[in-house]
Amino acid sequence: MKWLIFGPEIYFLAVAAVFLILSMTRPNRRRDFSAALFLASLGVAVTLATIRLEGSLFHGAYRIDLFSQLFKGLLSVGFFLVVCLCSSLSGIHEARHSEFYLLLATCTLGMMLLVSSLELLTMYVALELASYSLYALVPLRSGGGQQMEAGIKYFLSGIATSALMLFGLASLFAATQTTLISELILKLPALLNTPMAFIGLLLTLCGFFFKLALFPFHIWAPSVYQGAANQVTAFVATATKVTAMAMLVRLVSMGNGNTSLAHVLIALAIVSMTYGNLVALVQKDFKRLLAYSAIAHAGYSLIGILSMNPTGYAAAVFYALAYLAMTFTCFWVVVKIASDGRDVPIVQLAGLHRRSPLLAMALMVGVFSLGGIPPTIGFTGKFLVFNAAMERGYFLLVLIAMINVVVSLYYYIQVVKAAFLLAPDEELPPIHLSAPATILTVVMVVVIVVGGIWPSHLFELARAAVQALL
Amino acid sequence: MSMELANFPYLSAILLSCVVGLLVILFIPREREALVKGVSLVFSGIALALSIYLYCAYDRTIGGLQFVEKLLWVEPLGIHYFNGADGFNLPLILLTGIVHFTGVLTMWELRGRVKEFFAFAFVLVLGVFGFFMSMDLFFLFVWYDVSLFPMYPLIAIWGTTRKEYGALKLFLYLLAGSALVLPGILYLAVASGLHTFDIVALMQPGALTPGQQRFAFVLFYLGFGILAGVWPFHTWSPVGHVAAPTSVSMIHAGVLMKVGAFGILRVAIFLCPIGWEFWAPVMAVLATIGIVYGIFVGLRQTDLKYVVAFSSVSHMGIVGLGLSTVTAEGLNGAVFQMFAHGIMTALLFSSLGYIYDKTHTKLIPDLGGMSRVMPVASGYFIVAALAGMGVPGFASFWAEVTVFISALKVYPALGVLAICALVLSALYMLRVVQRTFYGQGNERYAHLRDVSFSLGLPRMILVAVMVLFGLFPRLMLDLIQTAVIPFMGGLPR
Repeated sequence: MKWLIFGPEIYFLAVAAVFLILSMTRPNRRRDFSAALFLASLGVAVTLATIRLEGSLFHGAYRIDLFSQLFKGLLSVGFFLVVCLCSSLSGIHEARHSEFYLLLATCTLGMMLLVSSLELLTMYVALELASYSLYALVPLRSGGGQQMEAGIKYFLSGIATSALMLFGLASLFAATQTTLISELILKLPALLNTPMAFIGLLLTLCGFFFKLALFPFHIWAPSVYQGAANQVTAFVATATKVTAMAMLVRLVSMGNGNTSLAHVLIALAIVSMTYGNLVALVQKDFKRLLAYSAIAHAGYSLIGILSMNPTGYAAAVFYALAYLAMTFTCFWVVVKIASDGRDVPIVQLAGLHRRSPLLAMALMVGVFSLGGIPPTIGFTGKFLVFNAAMERGYFLLVLIAMINVVVSLYYYIQVVKAAFLLAPDEELPPIHLSAPATILTVVMVVVIVVGGIWPSHLFELARAAVQALL
Repeated sequence: MSMELANFPYLSAILLSCVVGLLVILFIPREREALVKGVSLVFSGIALALSIYLYCAYDRTIGGLQFVEKLLWVEPLGIHYFNGADGFNLPLILLTGIVHFTGVLTMWELRGRVKEFFAFAFVLVLGVFGFFMSMDLFFLFVWYDVSLFPMYPLIAIWGTTRKEYGALKLFLYLLAGSALVLPGILYLAVASGLHTFDIVALMQPGALTPGQQRFAFVLFYLGFGILAGVWPFHTWSPVGHVAAPTSVSMIHAGVLMKVGAFGILRVAIFLCPIGWEFWAPVMAVLATIGIVYGIFVGLRQTDLKYVVAFSSVSHMGIVGLGLSTVTAEGLNGAVFQMFAHGIMTALLFSSLGYIYDKTHTKLIPDLGGMSRVMPVASGYFIVAALAGMGVPGFASFWAEVTVFISALKVYPALGVLAICALVLSALYMLRVVQRTFYGQGNERYAHLRDVSFSLGLPRMILVAVMVLFGLFPRLMLDLIQTAVIPFMGGLPR
């Protein structure tokens, strides 16, 4: 019975095995999609069923608590949503569909292992499992040539950061003589004044800065967002970001209010927000724009984490949840517009309000949520994060972040303008949404708006999760 | 205390009528344009009826906050859903109700994307109503932003002159204001040590030190000042007014600029009274520059809408001047001026809208002799222009007199300067009226029809309201006084 708490991980391992077997048979688009959709929805159920379980495995190296289970729930939802995007999956050659689902499942599995691991080496192994799946997923797109560039960029910068992270892990071990986070929490605060422990922790964080696309680890983001298939990009933009935020919360909370660490993180947050927003201003491709906006959002979410108080961590968890919802909504629209799997320049959004009023509305809600306009979940997330920073007295940081928000609204409004205002060069056919697709669109809009108006329960959940962590 | 509800939540009912109106419109097929307009009229009518009821039912002998609705929203952060009505916000709630209702009537002939227009308009008005009645800083900010973002599509889609530029400029300017307001709100909640966003709790004397008040006041004054059209942050406003379609100009100049001025009153002045007294001279100078500048720039305009837009800048300067006197009369006059100017500008834009719809020009040299072609439509504009000059018999006369009397006591030099400028503007307005509506007529427009009774209805309502409060100013001044006296009495001196 003890292994029941390991349920979600076992389940996703089984999902991976199913697709491994399917990949050896004749390719069949419909069958693969139906199987994936069924298994993914079951996965959400399995994960949510274990959300209240608690326990510890492998001599304390692996812990199941509300924090880890909440993020596993988010990951399974993310996996399910990305599978929902794959009804046509025309960006990837049909013969590779099973492999695509296989890699998606192993990546999700890796990230699930990651959010529960309480031991540095376990953490590293789990991270690499997720990373290597992504290295293979990114160049999987058919046609063009930019997917190879994206894949190579992602791989090279990824392994370079892995090297940095390994160096950091080694330094941490050298300084503290342990790899268990439960012991690190006790030893590290006293040791953080020594360069070895401080650099060790910082370099360890780099591994997750890379996943979060925080400046200066962002260089892969624009190429990968544009070069990878839309569905893969959606996965990279939602699930991996959420995991990175979770891990940063876990690792930074070990620092226990160290001011030098906070100062480094403040600098990174400010540079990342400003850089991401300024470069996004001139983007022409919608996915590339979302990449730069993701760099900016990495900065916003870091504000909650660097506040290093329970409110801040809870705000960051809430932000991760909000980010998943609003980013997915944007990618949902992208996939529906680009039914043949191509990229979507912003000008091609023109006339969307006539082609599909519902998608246009969903896009507006998603984009305004990213821009932090109430009453959306994105605004509430930003409010919580800024509130936490203000409690630590970081007034200037909040002011700079708010100025950044206003700058970012310029490019978000360009997207809304394209969808609602611009007349398309040529008359494009209306986009017909199937009944389930319509329902999903409405659900996403409702989640974003209702999460913004009634954040109380979600915030309580985030607080409880952080409580389990501390 | 988790819940405190009046026997019937009238204030929330106003918000609800906007939300329900919005939802109903969203479910109407887009081809049924007449139905969309009818539904808009019904729900804006309900909101108007409720706001009239509140205005009359408010108990002036007791004063204070009435019709209070308070619900705990997010406990760990001290956020409440907290609405209340007092002498400060009731005139503005009434104003919003009137302007939205007449705005819907004014747009009765709208063609093209009707459904979206009225849907966005409901979102806008929802935000404005919420902002005026909210007594919690978090919700205040939420409503503030809710009222701003529909402005972009409303102007950019249905607007006229340089509409995309105007819409974008307006949107970014106003949200830049919110970039100062949000840190300010968080600063107040944290610096006071109360960790609440409840305005009543934060108003307690001693919640904030004088230094904190002086600092926070600047943030709020600048942040809301942008929306209130305070010189030198007004530049978005003429461009935005001119670009906007008629009813949006009405709501925008009539109501939205008051959101800014009311924000200064409700947040900056209420919560940082020491900062208010400290910065009042600066406010007075900026307000006077705004009055004089608006008039002189208005002198050079040939576009009627620009004339009205710059007169708005100077009239909002009068509100600012009233607020900066730190006297009971000044506050009273400022709030009354917000109301009077709202009605007057709505009428100006509304009557201008009819002329523009028919002639497709708003350039003064192109028009001329319009009073012979469409005497009734011209009449509305002339009445509004007279009200704008401060002619007795209209609400704005009392508002301006009250403000100037208190300004002359506190800042004699600035007061005299502002009055001289206003006299000049009266002369100019008369010339605009003469050139546009009298004199040589333009042959091209000779065949145009005058405004019909049903289309004239919104203008009639606005004129009636102006005259009502012009003849019986105490209907409003006494109400505002119930809020001003306790507030000024409670100030730390």
